[in-house]
Amino acid sequence: MRIVIVGGGQVGSALARTLSADHEVFVIDHQPAIADVFATMDVEFITGSGTSEDVLAQADTATADVFVAATGLDEVNIVACAIANRMGNPETICLVSRADFLDASGNMAGLDQFGIDRVLWPEAQLAADIERIVTAPGAIDAEVFEGGIVRLLEYRLAAGSKLLACPLRELHLPRGSLIVAVKRAGRIFVPRGETQLAIGDKVIVMGTREAMVDVEAFVHPGSAGGRQQVTIIGGGDVGVQLAERLDASPLVDVRIVERDPARGAMLAARLTNTLVLNGDGTDLEFLESEDVGRSDVLVSVIDNDERNLLASLLARQLGVPKVITRVGRPSNLRLFERVGIDVALSARGAAVTSILHQITGGTASLLAVLEEGEARVLEITVAPTFAPRDLKDMGTAEDAIVAVILRGGHAVVPRGDDRIEPGDRIIVFSTRAAADRVYAFFSGTGA
Amino acid sequence: MRLDLVVHVCGVIVRVFGAVFLAPLAVSLVFHEYRDATGFGVAGVVSALLGHLMRHAGGDAAQDAIESLRRVEGFAVVSLSWLLIAHLAGIPYVWAGLGPIDALFESMSGLTTTGATVLRDFAQFGRGIFFWRALTHWLGGMGVIALFVAVLPRLAIGGRELFFAEASGPSGEKVSPQIRRTASLLWRLYAGLTAMQTCALWLAGFSFYDAVCHSMATLAAGGFSPHPLSVAGYQNPAAEWIIIVFMFIAGASFTLQYRALARGNARILGADDELKAYAGVIVVATVLLAVALAGWHWSESVVRTALFHVLSIITTTGFASVDFQLWNDQAKMILLALMFIGGCAGSAGGGPKVVRHVLLARYTLQELRRALHPRAVLPVKLGGRVVPESVLQGVIVFFLFYLLTYAVGVIAIVALGADMVTGLSAMAAALGNVGPGFNQVGPMGHYGDMHPVSRVVLTAAMWIGRLEVLPVLVLLRPEIWRASRWGNDSRSPGGR
Repeated sequence: MRIVIVGGGQVGSALARTLSADHEVFVIDHQPAIADVFATMDVEFITGSGTSEDVLAQADTATADVFVAATGLDEVNIVACAIANRMGNPETICLVSRADFLDASGNMAGLDQFGIDRVLWPEAQLAADIERIVTAPGAIDAEVFEGGIVRLLEYRLAAGSKLLACPLRELHLPRGSLIVAVKRAGRIFVPRGETQLAIGDKVIVMGTREAMVDVEAFVHPGSAGGRQQVTIIGGGDVGVQLAERLDASPLVDVRIVERDPARGAMLAARLTNTLVLNGDGTDLEFLESEDVGRSDVLVSVIDNDERNLLASLLARQLGVPKVITRVGRPSNLRLFERVGIDVALSARGAAVTSILHQITGGTASLLAVLEEGEARVLEITVAPTFAPRDLKDMGTAEDAIVAVILRGGHAVVPRGDDRIEPGDRIIVFSTRAAADRVYAFFSGTGA
Repeated sequence: MRLDLVVHVCGVIVRVFGAVFLAPLAVSLVFHEYRDATGFGVAGVVSALLGHLMRHAGGDAAQDAIESLRRVEGFAVVSLSWLLIAHLAGIPYVWAGLGPIDALFESMSGLTTTGATVLRDFAQFGRGIFFWRALTHWLGGMGVIALFVAVLPRLAIGGRELFFAEASGPSGEKVSPQIRRTASLLWRLYAGLTAMQTCALWLAGFSFYDAVCHSMATLAAGGFSPHPLSVAGYQNPAAEWIIIVFMFIAGASFTLQYRALARGNARILGADDELKAYAGVIVVATVLLAVALAGWHWSESVVRTALFHVLSIITTTGFASVDFQLWNDQAKMILLALMFIGGCAGSAGGGPKVVRHVLLARYTLQELRRALHPRAVLPVKLGGRVVPESVLQGVIVFFLFYLLTYAVGVIAIVALGADMVTGLSAMAAALGNVGPGFNQVGPMGHYGDMHPVSRVVLTAAMWIGRLEVLPVLVLLRPEIWRASRWGNDSRSPGGR
């Protein structure tokens, strides 16, 4: 595929890096200094303005399949998409950083008249991701698929967890749920019946909405009832988005800590039930005086990795059981989790996943990318040429598993004697390496 | 303050007010009351002449400066022209036989929509006089100056400060960016509602004359009735229900009603914090009053009577459908408390206004939360919007001045010989523009037997209460009366 990316910032470079292996990628940016970043990638870098027709013509926009506008300026992105749409007929994806271009339900408001096919707001996406994790007690990652009928939760096992009691076969997890993966010592594998979980393992559970409620109660008992105390450090774009999402929820009490008094006043004006505190999230005395240690969840979304890390570690010291932190630089992701932060997420990552999802479309689509890209959740429509067979006859793989079969609007978590037939839609969990093989298998092009 | 400008603008207003006397003049002629008609004629001529003289006293410079009216000058114009108009509107009463203090009391009571009367014997006065009492209510309810801003092109721009100085409530709200159009639209709504109520009352069995007088008194939240026994004199439950509905409307913000009507969207009403609080207080007070009156044995007449009086007092109308002087102290206490609430901002009702209570309550709650979280940012919000600190300070200052004025007034009245319940209730009723109080000044009684100085004090209280304290009290500052020279500021384009 031919892909044009305007804007070589964090999102642009991450996208280019991921896509360059399989696609022809052009990157346009008006800052020549940025070219260095792309020198090591197998992409074509063009210096110039993304709103100039000449520059866009150099990148062969007329024949491009996908056009991504990812500069820091919303208006530039919109104009670039409009011009690209006039020159050819690429799928246009426009990044924005304000609510102005989206309506209440998150769809684009009136931007289709500029020929924009999809609007993406990375900060909002990150806030939505964090919200899902915050509202799942004990979980360190959470996703929903198929409009909410299928859920995924990830837990890190601590001493005393009920999951440690015996091998999986004897655990009797609620019907309709399935442990699809275990991550132990940096390796992701699909567990078997005899697998015994250990302290420190991360487990990924998928299942139907109803079953997952039971799973939550099983894995994290005592979470039912009572309002969760959530503390947000940092009232920037992500902090506001997250607070607004949680503001009306009857299940959480939200506090947001913001250093700048003027920004704090703006937050207090926008939020109804959230308590806005004027202070520094990295000031231990302040955190102690506000009893931040008694929060159930702390979310640190300052726009600065160092301060985020400090705030998160302080919160951990004060005894907050779950700490979620935003990471700006992707290279820091692993480090953050290693020093004891439960969940580290980046806005850039959320946007890249979303765009990848868009680009790898077709009969298989990427629903989620987990564990820094090591694992994927795919939705596949089984090819008509696929010979129907029972799951147990397919053999077991260490790196992929059919998690859910979608039939007639219902989600079924399959067992060995369930049958997969041509035309079924299935949700498959797989490691990154196995994704292509899984796709080939079910779409009939492989064995 | 530019005194000559203030005099000039007052003159403009007073001169036009002369034309208002034509209406009662016509009514008196229709009923063949020629002596009263003469009184209205004289009052009209005096107004026109006085206004003309004052206009010229202001001089030519004032003619051009009217658009540059400043805030404090707006306060002065409104306070002083209200005082002048009250004197002029009292002339017909003097002609009809009242003493000067009583005449001023009655006319101030009418214009400020108080509804407190000094008339002992209603039979002594003609229909023209009773129509005049109702008309003064009606003019004062939406605001005399708002009316003139709407009709006088000269006040189109300078009228902005006048309009807000006269309007009720802590912050100015408009229905159109243009002040003249705002005033005109609100007056049309007000007139339309009055016409509706007149028809309804007429259909319910009132004579056309009674229907007009009661409608004007209801929508202005006034309370004068041509009948000596007020609404109780008619014994007409249907009419009481009609008056209940229109009292509720009169006590709710006309600005809000106009918006809901213009957009055809009733949800605007449901989303308004003040209206919700207003309705909530009415419901709670009605239940309490019904319990105080009849225990839990409720009948239609108990509910109607309770609701009628709760609305009559909270909207500061002051009608009575029974003699509530005969009620127990529990019931009277509820009414006295309601006198300190008042209608909504931007309504015809007087008193401190519901929205100020809402703001004060929220401010207090936020301060309590601040004790727990010293570093929290805790804005006070109304309808989802942050209320500026300056408005909150204004609310607190308003309550301070209101209560201070109240205390001074009560002490004066009681010192001059009234009993304490009379003193407490009369001052509350006058300052809140309610009308009737308890004991001597109960709904079937009158203020005529009070000490003459008390009557003057109460007259002043009505004036202060209607203009919401600050515009009047600011006149007591001596530096205001130091006439400033005509400086560059009055001529320069941005010199407001």
